[in-house]
Amino acid sequence: MKKTSLFAAVLFALSTPAFAQSPNDAQIASIVVTANQVDIDAGKLAATKGTDPEVKKFANLMVADHTGVNKQAVTLVTKLKVKPEDNDTSKALKAGGDKNIEKLKGLTGAAFDKAYVDNEVAYHQAVLDAVDKTLIPSASNAELKALLVKVRPAFVAHLEHAKHVQSSLK
Amino acid sequence: MRSLALMVLAGLLASLTGEGARLRAAAAASSAAKPATVAVAIEGMKFSPASVTVKAGDTVVWTNKDIVAHTVTDKAGSFDSKIIPPGGTFKYVARKKGAFAYLCSLHQPMTGGVKVL
Repeated sequence: MKKTSLFAAVLFALSTPAFAQSPNDAQIASIVVTANQVDIDAGKLAATKGTDPEVKKFANLMVADHTGVNKQAVTLVTKLKVKPEDNDTSKALKAGGDKNIEKLKGLTGAAFDKAYVDNEVAYHQAVLDAVDKTLIPSASNAELKALLVKVRPAFVAHLEHAKHVQSSLK
Repeated sequence: MRSLALMVLAGLLASLTGEGARLRAAAAASSAAKPATVAVAIEGMKFSPASVTVKAGDTVVWTNKDIVAHTVTDKAGSFDSKIIPPGGTFKYVARKKGAFAYLCSLHQPMTGGVKVL
């Protein structure tokens, strides 16, 4: 299961002593922005390099939705005067995202589509787990917590959508 | 004296019947389908309420309270909002009678219905 190895680092980072203490709001802001950016980057690549129309449609949706989420996240953290602070989780997300892009760049056709969608399923599952188990419980600012709660249904829908595309490719 | 009394009475009657006619007209106007506006929220990747019933001529207003863009697209093609950004609205004057099943063309598991009587 190669696809899960990309996110093993993320899940590890979320469960290791770095977060034995909960992330603070500045760290959460960084995790949210990075998580969205990683998916926007992969989506942009798949929107041009993907073959299957459903894959391309999904990729375009990921770019649009995650760009929207990030816009609101940035607006909120600017208003709250929270400066996103790099941390192990955001770094692991970025590293995992970069690794994914590198891998995808080496693939074409059906292999590309499959690798992209497999990763999207694993990614959304990992991010959703992080939102539920770490980010929402740790957020101290009420508006930041509310934003995470508001974002959650979109991530659930994306996960279901990704699984649907994944099964259609088989 | 008698004629004055009659005049007053006639005046009273005229004003009463005039008032009555206005009241009757107002009552008739409110019962005779004044177009209504029905609100549907788009929130948490759902249409809420998922189905509404309106009278022909009523307006349905969808408000996108979500963090991502959505559409309100009739499956049969009678109406299509195109992209509704977060915070945006879409108004549809339901002139055509019938049952309409719609979805968000971006997030297809999101569905709703409008019944126009």
